[in-house]
Amino acid sequence: MEVKKKIKRVIGLFAISAKMDLLWLLRDTRYALAGIAGEAVSNLSVVSGVWLIAIRFGGIGGMSVDEVLFMMSYSTLVTGLFILFGSGNNIHISRIIGRGQLEHLFMQPNSLKMQLITGGFVPFTGCSNFIIGCILLIVSITRLQLQVTLWWMVRLIAHLTATMAIIIARSYLVSTAAFYAPVEAEEISTAAIEGTWQLSTFPLSGMPAFIQLPLLTILPEGLMAWFPALCLLGKPPLNLTEYYPFAYALVLALAAKYFFRKGMNWYVTKGSNRYVPYGFRR
Amino acid sequence: MIRYIKSAQMACLEKTNGGVLYLMPDIFIKICTLIPLIYMWKAVMSSGADVGMTMDQMLTYTYAGALLSDMMVVRTQATGWLSEGVLMKLYGRPLSVIGQLIAQTAGRWLPNLALFSLPMALASPLFGVKLRPASPWFVASLFLCISLGFAIDILFACLSIKLRSMNWLIDRIRAAIIAILSGTVIPVSLLPLGLAEIMKYQPFASLGGAVLSIYTGAAETAAILKVQAVWNIVLWPAALIVFKKSQEGMVSYGG
Repeated sequence: MEVKKKIKRVIGLFAISAKMDLLWLLRDTRYALAGIAGEAVSNLSVVSGVWLIAIRFGGIGGMSVDEVLFMMSYSTLVTGLFILFGSGNNIHISRIIGRGQLEHLFMQPNSLKMQLITGGFVPFTGCSNFIIGCILLIVSITRLQLQVTLWWMVRLIAHLTATMAIIIARSYLVSTAAFYAPVEAEEISTAAIEGTWQLSTFPLSGMPAFIQLPLLTILPEGLMAWFPALCLLGKPPLNLTEYYPFAYALVLALAAKYFFRKGMNWYVTKGSNRYVPYGFRR
Repeated sequence: MIRYIKSAQMACLEKTNGGVLYLMPDIFIKICTLIPLIYMWKAVMSSGADVGMTMDQMLTYTYAGALLSDMMVVRTQATGWLSEGVLMKLYGRPLSVIGQLIAQTAGRWLPNLALFSLPMALASPLFGVKLRPASPWFVASLFLCISLGFAIDILFACLSIKLRSMNWLIDRIRAAIIAILSGTVIPVSLLPLGLAEIMKYQPFASLGGAVLSIYTGAAETAAILKVQAVWNIVLWPAALIVFKKSQEGMVSYGG
């Protein structure tokens, strides 16, 4: 009964976020449409660079042009999901912590977790990359003549979920620093997410192992598109199991949970030093 | 002149005010992006496709482009000057606004040149990259590239004045367009589908891609310098006129 109530509440909060997004689109249509176009152009420029190289050279490191296109479609889908669900700084959590805005969330009659899950949902103004990703996916699947079964779709959704979990967990893990140093670490999640995003669009096929392995462990950029795309094409790289990204996501999420909780405990006892009593931000 | 040098010095110190340690994450990310990029090009070029550039040229092109990235596509503080309180500082001093922007931008390049470009230039043999320029004319080309970069930046800044609160958006779109059209990510001459011939005369191609083509000896020097000079002659007066007309339309907020 309690679970049912929570699910209903989460759906209700998603609906509120969607309504606010629609209201913004209707109230300030020119700016909202420009924002949609800007996000789409920005992502397309990143992925088209790699794709154009693949076309010019007939592939990259053993991956065919269509396989590279499939990988780019996966990357675009991830970007799309990120914008769709993370547009309220709920994934760039160091901004909320660093700016002393967690108190704003504490004042609401909902749990922090529930607010962070639903607060960045923008289905109207944030859907462009997701739609482009879906179109690119269909085109690449058709060109590769992939057999799309129900199990394949389940695997696609599972891989996308694992990729998103890695992005969120890494952002929350590094954002813990913002509890202790709010000014210095306010933008640390941006460095963790956007800083290495170009790297995540590189097909690592054909590169030496000493480049591939660090990009699957220390900096998991290889897990953002390259590794899952090859798994979905039935060619898991480096003789690793297809389940590797899930294991990585789980370990990273547990680490993030542990350190974030420690940071929160510190925060609730010390507070934030970002505001002076008369309201200005330091 | 001394006042502009002082402005540059202040901008340099401002970037390192928090301590050099705070610059390290950015430098780490740059290194982590550059090394795989070098190996990606090695993997791509080893396919043996004839693209009018040797592997050595391509590696030099990519590596030098990363080391001089701030100069390849100039980005001043004017992009965010309406929302970040930069305007007040610029107009509060008895110096030319554009002159200050240029001095401050050049000053802000220095920490990155010292902490990233110089060590990575010394480390280039480890990655099999030869950084010796193919032609000394790359210096002239670099000067024209930087000059054109400032003109383009001023034009984009004027666009942000015109469109008021859209400066973040303009910055995003501009970065996306320039990434493809300037040739700093992929040499313009390598663009497929007939795009190379169309793209080489547009103004963004006279930025970083032009300098790197001369640096690596992958293109005819005189032709590139001519196109760069023409775009400078066309865009600088345009930038100055548009800027003069735009100043009264500035609305600043934030700080």
